[in-house]
Amino acid sequence: MIGVYREFEGCMRLMGHVLRRLRVLALPPVTEALTRQIYFTGASATAGMVLRGAFLGTLIIAYVIDVLEANSALAVKILLWVVLREIGPLMAAVLVIQRSGTAIATELALMQISGEVASLRRMRIDPRDYLVVPRVVGVALSTAGLTFYVQVIAVGGGMLLSALTIDASLGQLADDFFVLASPVDFAYSMIKSLLFGVAIAVICCYHGLHPPGVSINAVPKAAINAVTQSTLLVMLLNVVFAYLVFGQAFFGLVTAKV
Amino acid sequence: MSHADPAARSDPASRHSIHAQVALGYEPPTDRGDGRIWIPMGGSHRVTGLSETQKASLLSAVLDLKPEPGAKLVLLGLEVGGLDSAERATLRARVAFLAAGGGLLSNLNAWENIVLPLGFHTPERLRGVVGEVNALLKGFGTDPHGLLAKLPERMSAYEKKLAGYVRILLENPELVLVEDFRGGLDAAERGGTAGFFPAYQARCPGGTFVQLEGSPES
Repeated sequence: MIGVYREFEGCMRLMGHVLRRLRVLALPPVTEALTRQIYFTGASATAGMVLRGAFLGTLIIAYVIDVLEANSALAVKILLWVVLREIGPLMAAVLVIQRSGTAIATELALMQISGEVASLRRMRIDPRDYLVVPRVVGVALSTAGLTFYVQVIAVGGGMLLSALTIDASLGQLADDFFVLASPVDFAYSMIKSLLFGVAIAVICCYHGLHPPGVSINAVPKAAINAVTQSTLLVMLLNVVFAYLVFGQAFFGLVTAKV
Repeated sequence: MSHADPAARSDPASRHSIHAQVALGYEPPTDRGDGRIWIPMGGSHRVTGLSETQKASLLSAVLDLKPEPGAKLVLLGLEVGGLDSAERATLRARVAFLAAGGGLLSNLNAWENIVLPLGFHTPERLRGVVGEVNALLKGFGTDPHGLLAKLPERMSAYEKKLAGYVRILLENPELVLVEDFRGGLDAAERGGTAGFFPAYQARCPGGTFVQLEGSPES
């Protein structure tokens, strides 16, 4: 229990440091690290999302129209609820944890064990400024960008593929989309994605900088701790956020009493 | 070369004038036995016979400016114990350290490693530093284009040391500590390090260059 508290406190301190030291992003080495992080977490992750996102959207529309025998308006409504509010941010977060979370925790743990973090201190560079600030900002922005990308691919691709594969017209689906889509859903998903990104990066950086040992065996342990805890926190944040904003969680299974 | 200076301990009135000439003075806690170091300002010095523990203790004290309880540290004429945090930061900026392996970051190439501290501490100097780095490397007989794009994993022990040293020179420190100066180098590469101190002296006349060598058994 004390260990959990220490980790929580450590992550909060790291978060506080990031907020206080955002100005270091203007320094050339940190700007470069931020650009690299956005490229790695955001840009290079998009290719794998196209098919997954499009199939997800198609599956939802096909399921609702064909299996539940609903009309296109309901199909699009469910698509918007599920993809925009929940699946989009979650899918992006899971991808970021899988790719970047493990990479960050592993890289920082290796740097800590091999003495490179100490080297930074000897150059009078705070490792948190150089290693944590650009990663947290980069991962947060990339998660939001990936979420938007998933949403566009899943909704757009889903409607397009559905028009080709099942008895639904693209025009009708598009009309329903523009009637039902709300900026609130979009803003909600973006804010949530940014929070997911910050949570993932802070936890992974914390575990990377505090590996449970000084041998090479500590590196995979740090990565496992980072992935497990960031996945749990993302799920928790998702439920709390849904409950706070919409008064419901778990797709309406838990509803706030008004 | 390790100096003990009894006067510095016995006569408080004479401390200030003595400290003014001291580049690096370190007295470990009394229960650590010997290991006192007293190095005057300027020139090249060698500290030999330090155990790994003594070396770690000294480096930790100098680089973090936090001597162990009971230890005394004098750096560039100032007794560290009496300084506030701003004075410590200013003092620390005048000291540079070259680790045995060069202290490079493995995911940055030689160029990025060399200019990393400048990018943090004096980013305005980055614009004109290319020529300076090239001139320094050529002065050491190294082709800059061959070295600067290399990642540390593809660099020889000498190249790592050289990149780390050029990084230090760019900061114009008044005190340079070099760990295990010729360690891990073959005979030809050891010859290459002969130019390290003259290059430092040319950039920082009056600066102090200290080699820290471990004891043979450590």
